[in-house]
Amino acid sequence: MAIEKNYYTIDPQGRLSCVKCGVPLIKGKAKFMYLDNGFPVELPVCPVCGFVYVPEELALGKVASVERALEDK
Amino acid sequence: MSQIQERGSTHVYKVNKISKEEVDGMVARCVYEDPPFCSAACPLKLDARAFLQAAAAGSFKKALQLYEKIAPFPLILSSGCEAPCEGKCRLSEIGDGLAVREVEKAVARFGEQSKLGGIFRTKKRKTVAVLGTGLFPLLLAGELEKKAYPITVCCAEADEEAYLRAAAPFLDEEAFRLELKRLRGKDIQFEFSCRLDAAFFEEKRRSADVLCASWELTGELFPEADCVQELMIFEKERIVTGPTRGVMEAAFGAKKAALTVDRLAQNLDPRNTRGQEGAVESRLYTDLSEAKELSRVPMSGGGYSKEEAVREAGRCIACHCEECMKACAYLKHYKKHPGLLGKEIYNNTQIIMGDHQLNKPMNACSLCGQCTVVCPNGFDMARVCHMARRNMVSTDKMPLAPHEFALLDMLFSNDEAFLARPQPGFEKCKYVFFPGCQALAIAPETVKAAYLDLCQRLEGGVALMLGCCGAICDWAGRYEMEQQTRDFLDRELSKLGDPIVIAGCPTCRKELESHEGLRIVGIWDLLLELGLPAGARALDRPAALHDSCGARGDAKTQDAIRELARRLGCELMDTPYDRDRAPCCGYGGLTAYANREVAAEMTDKCLARSEAPYISYCMACRDRFARQGRQSRHILELCYGTDAGAPPDISEKRWNRLTLKNELLREVWLEEPMEKKLDYPLLWTDEARRMMDDRMILTDDVIAVLEDFRQTGEAILDDDGLMVARRRVGNATFWVKFSREGEGFRVHRAWSHRMRVEKREG
Repeated sequence: MAIEKNYYTIDPQGRLSCVKCGVPLIKGKAKFMYLDNGFPVELPVCPVCGFVYVPEELALGKVASVERALEDK
Repeated sequence: MSQIQERGSTHVYKVNKISKEEVDGMVARCVYEDPPFCSAACPLKLDARAFLQAAAAGSFKKALQLYEKIAPFPLILSSGCEAPCEGKCRLSEIGDGLAVREVEKAVARFGEQSKLGGIFRTKKRKTVAVLGTGLFPLLLAGELEKKAYPITVCCAEADEEAYLRAAAPFLDEEAFRLELKRLRGKDIQFEFSCRLDAAFFEEKRRSADVLCASWELTGELFPEADCVQELMIFEKERIVTGPTRGVMEAAFGAKKAALTVDRLAQNLDPRNTRGQEGAVESRLYTDLSEAKELSRVPMSGGGYSKEEAVREAGRCIACHCEECMKACAYLKHYKKHPGLLGKEIYNNTQIIMGDHQLNKPMNACSLCGQCTVVCPNGFDMARVCHMARRNMVSTDKMPLAPHEFALLDMLFSNDEAFLARPQPGFEKCKYVFFPGCQALAIAPETVKAAYLDLCQRLEGGVALMLGCCGAICDWAGRYEMEQQTRDFLDRELSKLGDPIVIAGCPTCRKELESHEGLRIVGIWDLLLELGLPAGARALDRPAALHDSCGARGDAKTQDAIRELARRLGCELMDTPYDRDRAPCCGYGGLTAYANREVAAEMTDKCLARSEAPYISYCMACRDRFARQGRQSRHILELCYGTDAGAPPDISEKRWNRLTLKNELLREVWLEEPMEKKLDYPLLWTDEARRMMDDRMILTDDVIAVLEDFRQTGEAILDDDGLMVARRRVGNATFWVKFSREGEGFRVHRAWSHRMRVEKREG
């Protein structure tokens, strides 16, 4: 069985909930894609509608730095 | 909303918009790496600049190390050196040239000799025999010892003292004692009291790999032999030789001969790969204004004392050319001379696989052309960077992110905010006023006043064109977009009857000048002809005039602005780097978007020239100076008695353009424009506004997110009680943190990322 590599994990820890579905977000599987590259990650996801949440710190931190690196490839 | 296609990961390799030859030609203009004039004049290539700096710092040991690189016997060389460096010293043009030779003598006398080589030095395998007595054999033996050849010196003298005395009879006793010590310290084998005859020659030829001999000795034994002077060799006899007449000649001969020995020892042709030997010409530029001590330090005795030598060496101005780096914040930021940076940026464009690490410097140049003016050789960094950007675009390697906001802004200017109308009552017009996108964004009231004034005072009709000239995509290297913009503007101008363009911005003027058959005049020229408008008023205190980089090389415009300021009654102060030498405010070349740090340094550099308020004639300069907290006015604001006030944020800049267009449509053309109005209240926290401006998030982006939330109800609830919704707009996903306020919303935070995110199955 292939071991799947996760590049980033964020657990909602029950702090977040989906407004539409009214359920707490859970740690779920998601994927970032940029310039033909894909990265499997674990982010807060709504178990019902599949809304994937990207927190501000993640967007401005790790995501931004990976974007810069890929742009200069 | 307009979109720009993000690049893929597959690059196109065949399209090249930059040629290596052209870049090499441009890079060769940089003289930073040319040797200083003293070193260039020295046939032995002493690094005189470093030598004098070490001596000036009192580090005679280091200075002596540098001197020993060219002189195995420093006191012999300094006694007989003809000092060609002194004649070429730039100080000699305005005062006394530096007494390099006297400093050398002092260094050779007082400098502590370093322990060269030591026991761990690996010797070469090939052996060399040096026959005869005199300066040349002595100096050659010294050179070869440095190169770690096992050397045997064969001479008629009975010991080293007699050998040295015969070679350098001119040394005084102290110098002789020091050089004898030095000679004894060298790893040279001696064979004394030799009979240097033909049989001895033959014997040595058999035992040593390379045979060297003094000129006289070789001439005596082989009267027919013919010496190849540039190689210092009797080729037929395979004897390396050299002149012994003067110290300089012998030293230079020994250098050349040592290189010939090197080649022969490796069984290579001594003619090849010798590099540049002897004195060379230098193209270096030196700013002599920094020279302070112009008179030679007098000698108290027969030569300089240590202190006197330090003082004399301290007069050296260390010739170096940093004219561009002194003037340009960008070059200063990257701490590289443009010859090197230009080469690296070119190499960056040629990378097929791997990181393009020079993307940031390539996109940080403001393409303003200041370096070309201040460089004594006219180095054009703007051209290198511009060509590199176009090449990156043509090979599909250019990231969109650094320039996307500016490019979208341009598309907005030439789409939603665009307006081209003839003056009411005219079908075709003699003129069209083209204020430029930044004027519309920053000072709409001034633009309106100017247009109404021009309509009133000019005959033949004045059309209005609100849009972008295309400088944005030109700067970004997007040449296809530039052509589309050019075609679009040409079509719109043709509809207005191909009028004379009245440019409100020097950069627009420059950009539009490249359109075929277009006649252009600056509004400043017209205002001089027509006279100042009624509401014109000067600044109430002396001001510094900042010349726009768009007007570089355009003395007429620079003069016109000064004349306008004079007529207004402004008191202008002189600043360094004015007119053609003016620096860029940080907006040019899209630096403000691609590299904010460098752009801020550029603005600071501009403002450091004066403490006074600034008057500029480019709205981008006016905006950047005002953002830094300096009182800053555009010359048109003064001409029309308007005040654009505090600098607008990125959303207000767009709103200003749309509002001006709608206002003019209503008031001048009596049309009712289509205006988008929100049917719910939208409020912001101060932090959200600051955050959006800093993160380049527009009000429109936030509205798009909230519209999406209103339709789908998709959002998450954070534990602080605020909701977060998102929407993909173009190439970015925007996130907005908000609360409900009655029927509307209050925005608390906003952020974005370019990556797409989606749920993953399995």
